[in-house]
Amino acid sequence: MAFTLSHQTSAKLKNPKKHNHYGFRDFYQFDPDKGTIVDWNNSQNVLTSEDFIIGLVEGLEEEVGDASAATMYTIGCEWGQKDAFFFENWFEKEYDRPMRQTNLMFLLETWWWSFTAQGWGRWEVDLGDRKQGFMFINVFDSAVARTLGDVGKPVCFLYAGLFAGFFTELVKKQLSCIEIQCYSMGETYCKFLLGGQERIDAASFWLNEGATARDIEKRLRAGELK
Amino acid sequence: MLSQIQRLAQETEGRYATDEELRFLADYARSYELRVQTYQKLQTCEMMIIQQVQAKMRAIDPMLFRQGNEDLTNKWKRDTLRVLRYSAAAMLIDDPESLRERFLFWFQTIMRAFNAQKSCGVTYTVMQDVIKQVLTPSEANLILPILEVNRRMLGTV
Repeated sequence: MAFTLSHQTSAKLKNPKKHNHYGFRDFYQFDPDKGTIVDWNNSQNVLTSEDFIIGLVEGLEEEVGDASAATMYTIGCEWGQKDAFFFENWFEKEYDRPMRQTNLMFLLETWWWSFTAQGWGRWEVDLGDRKQGFMFINVFDSAVARTLGDVGKPVCFLYAGLFAGFFTELVKKQLSCIEIQCYSMGETYCKFLLGGQERIDAASFWLNEGATARDIEKRLRAGELK
Repeated sequence: MLSQIQRLAQETEGRYATDEELRFLADYARSYELRVQTYQKLQTCEMMIIQQVQAKMRAIDPMLFRQGNEDLTNKWKRDTLRVLRYSAAAMLIDDPESLRERFLFWFQTIMRAFNAQKSCGVTYTVMQDVIKQVLTPSEANLILPILEVNRRMLGTV
């Protein structure tokens, strides 16, 4: 049986175009009878514990070994691509304007706010190098890294995939993403590089050679690729 | 206030609240009349406040209402009205915490997306001066701390 979930709190019914709907009580509609948690955009949410995240990451590692990173990345990519369409739909309904005729930073903040409300962390986008074909995204309080703690390596492959998938759909150009600094490496926040495959491969190579995020930024800005 | 009541309900689960824990309710009851009076005055004077803030800002720097060739006056007016109304409501129910949670955290990122921090900083500084002229000192004391929170959250880089 298929049914459509719909957020129908009095706040939304009275003011469907309200934009500041990210407070906990506005954003979620809990229905104990149906057992559903529907967010403002009519998407079904599931609450999970940190144990779930540990189980997911470690379980996958046990099943597929080193391929778990690529698997998480691919899951993120598919999620991001699907979410780009989902976002386009609700954005255009809420703001009565085409997504691609909107101030880019405003559009991106609007996209990420749902994720912030869901506990995926705050972010900061640096579009300064966009014309050179790459950009950086900082994530504070990554749910995955915060859960796993300091394990000495990057762990937010799901986020990297999510950004790659979403931005690929947004700009209609194949983009990849790599985490070049992670809370789980003892840093204070996670940093992602988004760009074409060639640049991501170069960054991955430098990272394996022991480069820091700052080194990678400098080399990319200097136009290096290898 | 609502946040405090919610917290009180959680913290006193299964027991009676102490006098100390109930103090905020008495404080609120004492300030209630003044809050309603201030709220109604803000409602009546809303357009005058906005116009005065706009005029003072224009005198400080007309470029605060421009971004390149775009005239941002109407957008500024819409945003400032919205912030003033939310601020008045937060003052009425004495709940700046909800204002932050339900409005300011979101609005801060949106203002940053448009590089509007400078304009916001000036807006909520000037608004405090204007409010001091429009309200009595005891009325102004209720709303000024909220406008200062707005300035700090929206107006700093």
